[in-house]
Amino acid sequence: MLNHEAIQVSQLIKKYKDSSTPAVNDISFTIKPGTIWGLLGPNGAGKTTVISILCGLLKKTSGDVSIYGLNYQENREEIKQLIGVVPQDIAIYPTLTAYENLKYIGNMYGLKGQELKERISHCLSTFELDHVSNKRIESFSGGMKRRINLIAGILNKPKILFLDEPTIGVDVQSRNIIIEYLNKLNSEGATIIYTSHLMEEAENLCSYISIIDHGKIISDGSPTELLRQHSSSNLEQLFLKLTGRKLRD
Amino acid sequence: MLRLFATVKKELLILLRDRSGLAILFLMPMALVTIMALIQDAPFRDYQELRIPVLVINHDKGNLGKKIIDGLTNSKVFQVTLFTESEIEAKKKVAKSDYEIGISIPEDASEQLNLRIQKFVTITLNEVGIVDTRVKEQTQSTKDTTISVYFAPNIKKSFRNSVLSSIKQVSSKLETQSMLDNFKKALNQDDDSTQNTNQAIDDFINFKEEAVIENQYAILELNSVQHNVPAWTMFGMFFIVITLSGSIIKEREDGSYLRIKTMPGSYFTVMAGKIVTFLFVCLTQCFLMLLVGIYLLPHLGLPQLIIGTSKAAIALVAISSGLAATGYGVLVGTLFSTHQQSSTFGAVSVVILAALGGIWVPVYVMPEAVKFLAEFSPLFWGLSAFQNIFLSHGDVLSVQIYIYKLLLFFGFCIGISYIINEVRQ
Repeated sequence: MLNHEAIQVSQLIKKYKDSSTPAVNDISFTIKPGTIWGLLGPNGAGKTTVISILCGLLKKTSGDVSIYGLNYQENREEIKQLIGVVPQDIAIYPTLTAYENLKYIGNMYGLKGQELKERISHCLSTFELDHVSNKRIESFSGGMKRRINLIAGILNKPKILFLDEPTIGVDVQSRNIIIEYLNKLNSEGATIIYTSHLMEEAENLCSYISIIDHGKIISDGSPTELLRQHSSSNLEQLFLKLTGRKLRD
Repeated sequence: MLRLFATVKKELLILLRDRSGLAILFLMPMALVTIMALIQDAPFRDYQELRIPVLVINHDKGNLGKKIIDGLTNSKVFQVTLFTESEIEAKKKVAKSDYEIGISIPEDASEQLNLRIQKFVTITLNEVGIVDTRVKEQTQSTKDTTISVYFAPNIKKSFRNSVLSSIKQVSSKLETQSMLDNFKKALNQDDDSTQNTNQAIDDFINFKEEAVIENQYAILELNSVQHNVPAWTMFGMFFIVITLSGSIIKEREDGSYLRIKTMPGSYFTVMAGKIVTFLFVCLTQCFLMLLVGIYLLPHLGLPQLIIGTSKAAIALVAISSGLAATGYGVLVGTLFSTHQQSSTFGAVSVVILAALGGIWVPVYVMPEAVKFLAEFSPLFWGLSAFQNIFLSHGDVLSVQIYIYKLLLFFGFCIGISYIINEVRQ
């Protein structure tokens, strides 16, 4: 597994039944282990479709996708053990406490007993939520919900973490603690796949960025390379240059 | 197994913290069974236990009127009230449904019946060569004896026929008895033998009610409690469709289902967690409903629920009914995309299946076409199985066909849900 790329995508196409054009149109890319890969694009560009296929939530129309050399057709359960997903929605049960939510998620990854307790306790403490572990999620603030949503994605110590707008709607303090943790996780060897509309955050966090539009990757490279290639001073300027100023939804 | 336990625990915690959901799951069916058993007690008794109130106007100066009244009273079918006012007033009371039946006996009823019978006896004796000189001169002027019977407007035709039949049975016996008495008189026998004749008529043909199923237990009559408790237990079980489908849709809407799909564990593990949880809910519901029937309803003046003799059969029918209900809930939750759609469809479809399944009205009184459709309602299968166990002391073998049908329905629903889920990906 160590000899494989974290993610390898080749000639990936996804066409929805009710659409005449493909949402993802013949894209190929490779993500090396330990990369923080930012997938950026305007609304409807195909970001969510790509991420959903990589997470195993959607079936591809054609092409190949491998996660550490494994594919979803044959190794679905093994891949699920390798990945963690932090969706944009707060995908946590509001009437359960933080601890109950995390215990359930830990159990689903096969964690139990003291190991799980310690893992939950460590994560809650890292994100400064240990004092509310027995409170229901419905009583949490927006920032606290975002943090617990992130913990739910990293509880199994994933090798690849998928993050869909992880800091949307949170205060500066919560954003800071999340970004710091993601950098720490990456330094420990985790590959992070990140989508966001926050260009500044992406520029600072990601080591590699792909910009997608109309289902195709229109540019990719490290943030510095991209800015130099397109003679832009920041990622937002570059993004507008490549994708245009026309509204998409 | 850890994943299954985790899912069951999660589902139970969510359910326990949803108080309105709990009320729908447990209190509503218990309230429903109590109210429906009370409401339907009277109609069930009308046909089985209660006497039919009859208003009788007796203008007859002879014995016929008195004998009809005695016959109606002794039949144990009617509750006779004598009315001394006019026939118009009596009809008004029946029209207002104060009484279900009115009977008016004219003043010359005995006399006319007597003349008719004497004429008949004379003609018969003449035909066999015996001439009865005492009645010969009276045979010239006779007319029919007409007893008017009128019914309340809400009385159904089948019920009218059965009541008329009961009255005719009483009058027929009187006619026969009177005829025999006249034959005896004509043949110069003394009146002391009349009592013996009456006894002989009664003993000619006897009817004995027997069980259709051979076992040592008596078959119970269907009463309000025996019908409503299993009926509304089935309804309550299937009503979890709303909560279960809502739980599936809510997970899909708030993104939890998306997270679940990215976590280890197959579709079946996740759904099994929900199915086990809601099966537990169904079984708890069933247990509580039976307790209501056994312990609460008798305190409200209703008969006690008799649950037959096979606890194993009850358990198996409850489990298979619960599985059928949860399978249907999973299917509805998978089919629809919003809670509003699933709750509307879930509620309406369960009401339709309940109506077809004989929850409100027993299937045997339904038209043939509806009886045919009832065969496809899982509520009918469950209700039939429960009634077989409760009323006929059925065992596992006698209800196995219903258990198979319910389990097949469960498998069908889960299979379709799995296919829909796969296609959506």
